[in-house]
Order: sequence, then C-alpha cells, then structure tokens
Amino acid sequence: MSFKDWFREDRLPHIFCTGCGNGTVINCTLEAVEEMGWIRDTTVFISGIGCSSRAPGYITTDSLHTTHGRALAFATGVKLANPRLNVVVFTGDGDLAAIGGNHFIHACRRNIDITVVCMNNMIYGMTGGQGSPCTPPGAISTTTPYGMCEPVFDLSALAVTAGANYVARWTSYHVTELTKAIKVGLDTPGFSFIEAMVQCPTAYGRRNKLRQVSDMVTYLKTHALLLQKKQRMEEEGETVPADMFAVGEFVRRDRPAMGVLK
Amino acid sequence: MKLVIDERRCKGCNLCTMICPYRIFREGTRPNDRGIVIPELDRPERCTNCRLQGLYGRRLCGVCQMICPDQAISWEEEKPYEPRKVVIEF
Ligand SMILES: Cc1ncc(C[n+]2csc(CCOP(=O)(O)OP(=O)(O)O)c2C)c(N)n1
Ligand code: SF4
Ligand code: SF4
Ligand code: SF4
Repeated sequence: MSFKDWFREDRLPHIFCTGCGNGTVINCTLEAVEEMGWIRDTTVFISGIGCSSRAPGYITTDSLHTTHGRALAFATGVKLANPRLNVVVFTGDGDLAAIGGNHFIHACRRNIDITVVCMNNMIYGMTGGQGSPCTPPGAISTTTPYGMCEPVFDLSALAVTAGANYVARWTSYHVTELTKAIKVGLDTPGFSFIEAMVQCPTAYGRRNKLRQVSDMVTYLKTHALLLQKKQRMEEEGETVPADMFAVGEFVRRDRPAMGVLK
Repeated sequence: MKLVIDERRCKGCNLCTMICPYRIFREGTRPNDRGIVIPELDRPERCTNCRLQGLYGRRLCGVCQMICPDQAISWEEEKPYEPRKVVIEF
C-alpha cells in the first residue's frame, strides 16, 4: 500500500498548473494518512473554495467541498456529529485567513480535534492572482500593481496564539519533513495546523520574476529559516532578514480538546 | 525495480530534476505528442529504491515520487530480476 492508492485514478491528471505545489502537499498528506493506518470509511476530507481546495475531489474517501472560507465550520459540524470520524481540512491562504479568518481563530480556540493543512501560495490562485493576507510586502498582484504595502499574516503564529495543540510550517520542497509534521498533526488530539508554503508559478511567480517552477521552489527553499536557527540568531543578537519565514514545529501541547472520544 | 515516468500524467515541471540526490532525472529535450517535455532518466539503475526496495521490503528515498505534483513517478517490478553492478561516483 502507498499513498497512491488513495487517489481517484479516474480523475487524474488533476487540473493544477504545471509545477503547482498543491499536488505535492496532497501526496504528503495522503502518505501521512496511510502511515497512520486510517481507513477510507472513517476518514473525511473537507475543503472550501480555491485551487488548493480542489484536493478532496481527487481522493477516494467521502469529502465535502464547501463554500468559500467555511471549510472549518463544516468540519466542526462533521466532527461533533460523529467524533469517530478522522477529519482533515485542505485550505488555501485566502480561504483560511481572509474570508475564513474568524472560523480559523475560533476553531483554534475551541481546539477541536481536526487537522488543517493550509497550502499557502501567498496569493489568490484560482481567481487570477489577487493579493491575499499572506502576500509578502512589495509583491505584485492584480490588486497590488505597485507592490503589496501591507504586512503579512503569520498564520502559524496566529494558530499558536489562538490555542491550537499542534502547529508546524514547512514548504513543498521539504517533502519528508512535511509528511512527518502532518503525521504528528493527525496523531495529536485537538486542533493541528500545518502550514505548507507552496509555489504558484501561474498567479504569483509570473508577476514576481519567478516565472519558472524551479525559480519559485528555489525562492521557498532559500527563504525558509529553520526555527532553531532563527532562535539562535535572535539570541546572538543577529538580525533575521525580514523576508525569511521560520520553518519547523512551533508548538506541541495538550490543551483540553473538543470532539475527542473519551 | 525499475523507475518509470507515466507520460500521460507528467506535465514536465522538472521538480524531480531538482530533488533527486543522484540527479537521475535530467531535463528533457524533445516534446512528446502532447507537447510536454518529459525528463530523461540518466542511468536509473543507480536509484536507491530500484536497488534496495526488494531487500528492505519498503520504499527507500522516494522523494521524487513524493514531490512529483502529478503522481507520475513509480517503480515497476522487473522480471526476471537482474542484479546489476552499480558504480556510484562521489
Ligand atoms: C463568497 C465568495 N467570495 C469570493 C469567491 C471567489 N473566490 C474563489 S477562490 C478565491 C480565492 C482562493 O484563494 P486561496 O484560498 O488562497 O486558494 P488558492 O486558489 O490560492 O489555492 C476567491 C476569492 C467565492 N468563490 N465565494
Ligand atoms: S493558479 Fe496557482 S495555485 Fe492554482 S493551480 Fe495554478 S499554480 Fe496552482
Ligand atoms: S527514489 Fe531517490 S534516488 Fe531514486 S530516483 Fe527518486 S529521488 Fe532519485
Ligand atoms: S516531477 Fe513529475 S510531473 Fe514534474 S517533470 Fe518530474 S515526473 Fe514530470
């Protein structure tokens, strides 16, 4: 058995653009699910709207493809109606942090026993490249033609502050680490949040001098800073470059969780 | 085991060429009938998984299969299996 057995072969190849990181994140998630030994009948994948949110459509289990931003609201309902189900949410940065921001905060606060995999491509991919709350300063998008002038939302920091039991961030290049992090997330009771930084060569890369797939993956690779290294730099009084993001495990704790079978 | 790229799935993104530690995947040169330039395999028998999956009974390395966003990379059983002498350069 491998993660490939979880795909709906009849629906492949999927509609993602050449080199889109979403496909890699689906592989890693399914590999983690497979390693957990979960079965199709009790696993549910839920998503909102966006390129990233099309993921459950390619998986053989039951799934819910809901309205924009509301994946967590539906997931909360599914989990509370039947706590025996394993619930995994696929979402994008726009879906989770913009229109679905409040659901995200409150799902973390409730610490409901689901796992959220956010494919953060720093842009609204599906609708053609509008700026999202995660678009880095200076980046060009259709709604920020002179460069983004707002600071970014650090989704992992938000999840830690709001009370999630497990929070980690990796990129689509770090496939082994990402798979391990997702597996720990699936295994942790309570709300687990895994942020996967992914390349979107079509809507983001094309406008930001990262047109080739490899350029955008190299960007993610070179701008990822290991959390331990970042902490060491801060202790030693070095300045951490503003355009770098930390990767690693941010929190693993045992706050009282909701929706866990006693 | 034999490393294969599924030509109907591959979209030619070349992510596999970036990640393989042995650089087994090389950027292709000629588009196929779907207009996609599929990577070429450079001495695929060097692949860790081709050589050792049978011995260990599990997938080894496998990062190319994980990163391939189009689920195009897999391994096929080779029959009859022929052990090959592999030269690994450092
Ligand atoms: C209520 C509502 N508002 C707006 C939209 C239009 N819309 C569709 S996808 C999308 C953005 C998705 O961005 P993200 O979640 O980052 O996913 P990506 O496509 O980048 O993976 C928007 C604004 C919608 N479908 N529904
Ligand atoms: S627009 Fe971006 S996120 Fe959407 S499929 Fe294409 S590369 Fe992926
Ligand atoms: S399994 Fe590892 S060594 Fe073998 S082709 Fe893939 S990346 Fe290269
Ligand atoms: S990573 Fe997959 S889709 Fe991309 S070039 Fe390699 S085999 Fe093709």
